[in-house]
Amino acid sequence: MERSLFHYIWRHSRRDQIAIFIVVIASLPFYFMSLDLPKRIVNDAIMGNAFAGGVSEVVFLDLDFTWPDFMGGGTVMLFPGMTVGQMGLLFGLSGLFLFYVCINGAFKYWINIAKGALGERMLRRLRFDLFSITLRFTPDTLRTTKASETATIIKDEVEPIGGFIGDAFVQPLMLSSQALTAMVFIMLQSVPLGLVVLLVVGVQFTVIPRLRRVQLRLGKERQLASRLLAGRIGEVVDGMDAVHTHGTERWEKSEIGERLYHLFDLRFRIYKWKFMVKFLNNFLSQLTPFFFYAIGGYFALTGRLDIGQLVAVIAAYRDLPPPLKELIDWDQQRLDVQIKYDQIIQQFMPERLLPEHEPATAALTELHLAGPVSIENLRVQDQHGTVLVEDATLSWPYPGCVALVARGDGAALAAPHAVAEVLARRILPAGGRITVAGHDFLSLPEDVTGRRIAYVGTQPRLFPGSLRHNLLYGVLHKPAQIETAASAFGDGGDKTRVSEALRTGNPLDTPEDDWIDHSAIGMLSPSELDALLLRHLALAGLEDDTFHFGIHGWVDTVRYPELGKRIVEARQHLRARLSECGMTGLIEAFDEKTYANQASIGENLLFGASRSPQFTGQGRARNPLILKALDAEQLTGDLIGIGAGITAAMMEIFSELPPGHALVTQFSFLASEQTVDYDEALRRYQAGGLRRLRADDRVLLLTPALDYIEPRHRLGFLDDGLRQRILAARWRLRADIDRAGEPCDLEPYRADALCHNAMLRDNLLFGRLDASIANARQSISAVVTDVIEDLNLRPAVSAVGLDFDVGPGGRLLTARQRAGVELARNTVKQPDILILDGGLGAYSASEASVIHERVVALLQNRSMIVVAGENTDLESFDAVVTFDDSGAVTTTVPGDLPLRAGA
Amino acid sequence: MSLNAEAQILRQVPMFRNLDTSRLKLLAFTSERMRLPAGQILFRRGDTSDAAYVVLDGKAEVFFEALSGTVKVTELGPHDLIGEMGVLGEIPRSASVRAVTDLLVLRIDKQVFIELLEQFPRIAIDVMRELAHRLERTTERLASISK
Repeated sequence: MERSLFHYIWRHSRRDQIAIFIVVIASLPFYFMSLDLPKRIVNDAIMGNAFAGGVSEVVFLDLDFTWPDFMGGGTVMLFPGMTVGQMGLLFGLSGLFLFYVCINGAFKYWINIAKGALGERMLRRLRFDLFSITLRFTPDTLRTTKASETATIIKDEVEPIGGFIGDAFVQPLMLSSQALTAMVFIMLQSVPLGLVVLLVVGVQFTVIPRLRRVQLRLGKERQLASRLLAGRIGEVVDGMDAVHTHGTERWEKSEIGERLYHLFDLRFRIYKWKFMVKFLNNFLSQLTPFFFYAIGGYFALTGRLDIGQLVAVIAAYRDLPPPLKELIDWDQQRLDVQIKYDQIIQQFMPERLLPEHEPATAALTELHLAGPVSIENLRVQDQHGTVLVEDATLSWPYPGCVALVARGDGAALAAPHAVAEVLARRILPAGGRITVAGHDFLSLPEDVTGRRIAYVGTQPRLFPGSLRHNLLYGVLHKPAQIETAASAFGDGGDKTRVSEALRTGNPLDTPEDDWIDHSAIGMLSPSELDALLLRHLALAGLEDDTFHFGIHGWVDTVRYPELGKRIVEARQHLRARLSECGMTGLIEAFDEKTYANQASIGENLLFGASRSPQFTGQGRARNPLILKALDAEQLTGDLIGIGAGITAAMMEIFSELPPGHALVTQFSFLASEQTVDYDEALRRYQAGGLRRLRADDRVLLLTPALDYIEPRHRLGFLDDGLRQRILAARWRLRADIDRAGEPCDLEPYRADALCHNAMLRDNLLFGRLDASIANARQSISAVVTDVIEDLNLRPAVSAVGLDFDVGPGGRLLTARQRAGVELARNTVKQPDILILDGGLGAYSASEASVIHERVVALLQNRSMIVVAGENTDLESFDAVVTFDDSGAVTTTVPGDLPLRAGA
Repeated sequence: MSLNAEAQILRQVPMFRNLDTSRLKLLAFTSERMRLPAGQILFRRGDTSDAAYVVLDGKAEVFFEALSGTVKVTELGPHDLIGEMGVLGEIPRSASVRAVTDLLVLRIDKQVFIELLEQFPRIAIDVMRELAHRLERTTERLASISK
């Protein structure tokens, strides 16, 4: 990237800058004409100067053009004009004034839009460039880079630069031309006064920027300090578990508090300087009139300047300070933004980067690394310069399964891992040569290594998103030719998208394109792709986990249009099966006409499922639709009464447990942090009933009532009359929603249709489990699984599990599941070489060995490199490479004599 | 049967005799009520001890399965506590239990039981006292058998 912000701006936006400048210049004549008009309206039309001396009509709007003398002179009449009276002139001139106002407005509109678009485009380009550079950070750079700091730079710190870019060139040109005009005018009137003005302006332009330099230095410090603050907060959030484990909340608070003080201190000093400079600037501006009055007056009194000239100078001087002030401000902003830019650029220095990524050619993307590996004189160091591998020379044939083993307990321990990481391109060696299938491995681009080499390490990196997205992450290699096709066939909105991308150096690809590298996994239909992913998940031992995700997941009927119908079928099968086994009582089926005792009051009221906060949790107690239905059935008072009863019971039952205790969070209706609010609401209710309650109290007290299930909580609040009225409220609510006719987030339960907002399992049960029957959960799970197997629905249910959101960094998965996803993702891409570097550590020993066997079988015609642990059975490998403490590397074939000894 | 009635029944259980009403209600509220038809097995010998049970209504019997059939050890009725030894000792069930008549029990989850003991030393002391009494009775019976 360019060192200088102005080079960067000029290089990428000169055409737009020039266009804006031309329009600005073109707008000036209209602007000046609109300034001149009011005078004419007052003098000529209203005061009637044009009609002085008995003239009753004047010519209005005559347009002629006089050729300059050097072009021969003469006048061309463009429009002869109209002859009008005084009224006509007044309305004509006023109309003209309105016309200029519109023209000026239009110019201003266009200029502002163009400036804004220019700034935003440059901002997009800058952000994208910075992100592209981030992707090129060397492993060493990454170790010292904080994610949250980089994010703040790209997101926040470039923001003011974008705002400045639109004004970067146009503003100073405009302002200086304005200032110059005023200056020339003053000079023409009186040279001595002009010199005085020049002197004061000179002082302003030298002293003020100097003073502001201090302010800018402080601003720079502030930028760094706030960036560090962002980094620090990111660290604390990432390491929250450590903070809680060690109980160091107070330390962290004081640390952040200190940083905030430092920031305040910097800001305060900046303010002091800023206002001091402002004062001085104002003072200097006011000093000039002082000179005008004193010196100009003196000249006038002594007769060296006539009064008219003095008044003209003073009038002209009125036009000088605003552009000057803005010019000084612009300069200040320029310095400020340049410093910000420098600060940003420093984080993205070329010496910290990998070489630029060349676009992949078809030949490269089809290049395979199916061949023997030969490593010569490999030398690997860690970032402190400690040698991990010294001058190692080794090789193995293809296909083959190779174990890397450390023998000893000193220097050799890290060697197998280091070699594995070099082959995975996770670290760069300090020296040596690696040849894979006849190619110089270290000079191969990532397009080749990323496609052909898989690495399963101990720390899986999952991205937030669905399981499917994570599994396909390794094959997101869009073929190059699709790119050109997309840009050629862009239509409508897409055309703008493409042209904007071209203007800002952004990619033409969108995430919606088909990114899957079909050359790696074959041309598969969506369902075949699901089947493939499920096979690989099963290989990684996650078959049951995926099924579990699926049955607790939501069915995407856009992706699986047939599944909804099949689930409704399965629902009927399940019902039939339960009655065959005499287990009908296990489930209380949903019925529009009856109250479901095993469901809460809220569920009975809504009789449908929603994932919107308006129909879940406390949102229900605020939802006007629900409240209206409750009021109509006179249920509000009863439910608030139940809520108050529950609150009182909870207060009694949990009174002796500390807030936040496991039992409170698991069983109480009331959130620990709201205990005080509930206490007060209850007291008000007990003192004066409904009338004393505030709006918030009603919400608080209504919520627990909506969660109440009589057979489970057994507080004895429900009777048949109440049940009947709740049913009536249910029907009324449904009727209200239907009548409103607007799309509603509440999807009703219907026996013959899938409810998209309910989990797959709930859709199968279509009712609530009677938890009071012994072993109800186990029994029903067994029947559900049976029915799914019988209807051959298992693959479809597991496919729904592919939509499971793994959470940030895969935090919603267990360590074992994360390891499984990482392994499956790597086998999905069908690599030529698979490196297994402790990736099975999260499994139990027995499961790990089963999965290891499966991976070996899958890769039997390819190459597999395993960093062997203590328990690895070396007999099964084709070759075993041993690193020992002396630095020697030995390759052996199990059951055979040493093949070759390296240095 | 309401929570209050359950709390009254819990008060009859020797281990919980000295608890005040709010704690009995806590115990009842954090427990699940379960129905078993006559003849159904509550748990079998060797199962994981994941809960203790208090009989609210009906009769249950403790039995062993032997080659010759089942050997009934004892019969339990209202206020009797079942399976607490397994929960406290973290050992599998030492015998099987089934409903003789229709049975209504309160299931106290192991985790909840342990939480309660940790939070309220008073309950822990009562439980210890009850266990000590039982040990004493067993010792006496052993002594009388070996005499």
